[in-house]
Amino acid sequence: MYGYYDPPFSVEQEGIFISVERTGDKWTYRRTSGKDEVEKLILGDGKRIIINPVEPLNTPKEITPNLLIEFEKTLLLAGGEKEQIFLTFPIEIGIFISDVGDKNPQLIDVLSLARQKFTLYGEVSNGVVCKHWKSKIYSASPSLNPLQEGILELTLRNTSSDWASISKAVFSAYGMKLYYDGDVYMKARVDILSRNTAETGFEIQSINGEMGYLVKDKKIRKEAFGVYGLRMLGLVPLKFYMEWGF
Amino acid sequence: MIPQDIGFLGHELYSTSLGPVTPGNLIKFVLVLSISIILLRVLTIYLRRVLKDRVSKDVGEPILKLLYYGTLVIVFISILPLIGIDPSGFMLAGGVAGIVIGFATQNIVGNLVSGSFLMFERPIKIGDQVEVNGISGFVTDIRIISTYIRTHDGLLVRIPNQQVFTTNITNTVGHPVRRFEYTIRIRYSDDASAAIWLINDYIDKEPFALRNPTPSVFVNDLGESSVNIIVRIWAPVSEWFGLKTSLLLNIKKILEENGIEISYPQRVLHIKSEPEKIQHVIEEPKEQQFIENEPVLNFEERVVN
Repeated sequence: MYGYYDPPFSVEQEGIFISVERTGDKWTYRRTSGKDEVEKLILGDGKRIIINPVEPLNTPKEITPNLLIEFEKTLLLAGGEKEQIFLTFPIEIGIFISDVGDKNPQLIDVLSLARQKFTLYGEVSNGVVCKHWKSKIYSASPSLNPLQEGILELTLRNTSSDWASISKAVFSAYGMKLYYDGDVYMKARVDILSRNTAETGFEIQSINGEMGYLVKDKKIRKEAFGVYGLRMLGLVPLKFYMEWGF
Repeated sequence: MIPQDIGFLGHELYSTSLGPVTPGNLIKFVLVLSISIILLRVLTIYLRRVLKDRVSKDVGEPILKLLYYGTLVIVFISILPLIGIDPSGFMLAGGVAGIVIGFATQNIVGNLVSGSFLMFERPIKIGDQVEVNGISGFVTDIRIISTYIRTHDGLLVRIPNQQVFTTNITNTVGHPVRRFEYTIRIRYSDDASAAIWLINDYIDKEPFALRNPTPSVFVNDLGESSVNIIVRIWAPVSEWFGLKTSLLLNIKKILEENGIEISYPQRVLHIKSEPEKIQHVIEEPKEQQFIENEPVLNFEERVVN
């Protein structure tokens, strides 16, 4: 389903139906998924529709830019060690409109097939509301439904001298970079700083050094347009500082 | 003619320690002050537009007000020599004058100081849902002298800052999450464990019912005519009201779909049937009644006879 479409077109997969058809001198965008129906009018010709995975923080309502991934089992990491694991994260499907060649497309719709749940990270008086997701831990890249779940390659680094017991990680959507091609992929890291504090962030630079693409496991993945990446908000921290434990 | 007309601008109006003050100086003073006010207004409007998407209103507005009034005070003090006032002397005189003015404008100064503290301490912010002195609503603006609140029914209430600062303030959105509670009364004949499971399952599917702090569902009381189940749920403050108003009806529907019903007030009566005693009790009053009524019956007989 992910990709670039020139109207008129229609695409259907896993109960999601998306189409852009001409009605008179206008274009009509229609999307149905389950009981949810969206219809919008598009003015002007020569527009392109882009469907790609976006940060999972827009549905059912955008109330937080933070995603908390709870590990199914607690991990123990010795002081000074570094390990790589694979987790899953929820996917939201973003539908954008742009002029051909435009690098700043406009989001027109977003939907999700993944489970929706929110949680609080920290204290009631000063904690942070986060989108919640529970993930299994994999030692190799798992095979997932790309319309529902993505692969998160996570590097855990314990910079402290103590053992660290890790059961969750919180990520800020402002730093998220999603790549897709058959699967959906993100690469992040958790740096354990002390007994209760850690810092999380995403790998902005793609592995082969060329922006816009990620080459890994002999696969070339395309960089997705993000909802948070499109906002030209200055002074927004791309990292998340976990101060209430992990 | 024209040079003669302009010449009056150089005439001395009065003289001070800083030198003579002319109409030209006065016009300069007014012009500089007016242009500064206009420029500062344009600048604040521009900055308000620029910062609109980048900084939240509750942070941006105090910064803009500080910039506007701060710059205006600096400009005003720096152009005082134009009208023959020495700012340093003004400051000294201000000490004495301040006491006099302070007494005269006690309330205004009180509100001003309270407004400054409100802006820096920030117990409430623009956009917060608060209750101040019995008035509930959304804070629309915090100004130097007063705070504006839009009540839930759309009225604009202006509260002097001194009152806001010295009274109890309840900020309902002061924390990121908030809890609400329901009491659900089910019949004694229903399975309370099944009801608790169904409610927990529904809460788990509801996105805005937070996973942590964990919701709690438990039998709190065995009432006169119902088993009382308490449901406590935490929600993000922005979604608290919407969730509270929708969840109870949905819980009722789910329970009813599964054969669990909300209990009505009821009282169970146990009637014991003991035939012999009842017969005895019934017969006895008849005899007694006859004895009691005998004079009356005799009276009738007497009348007839």
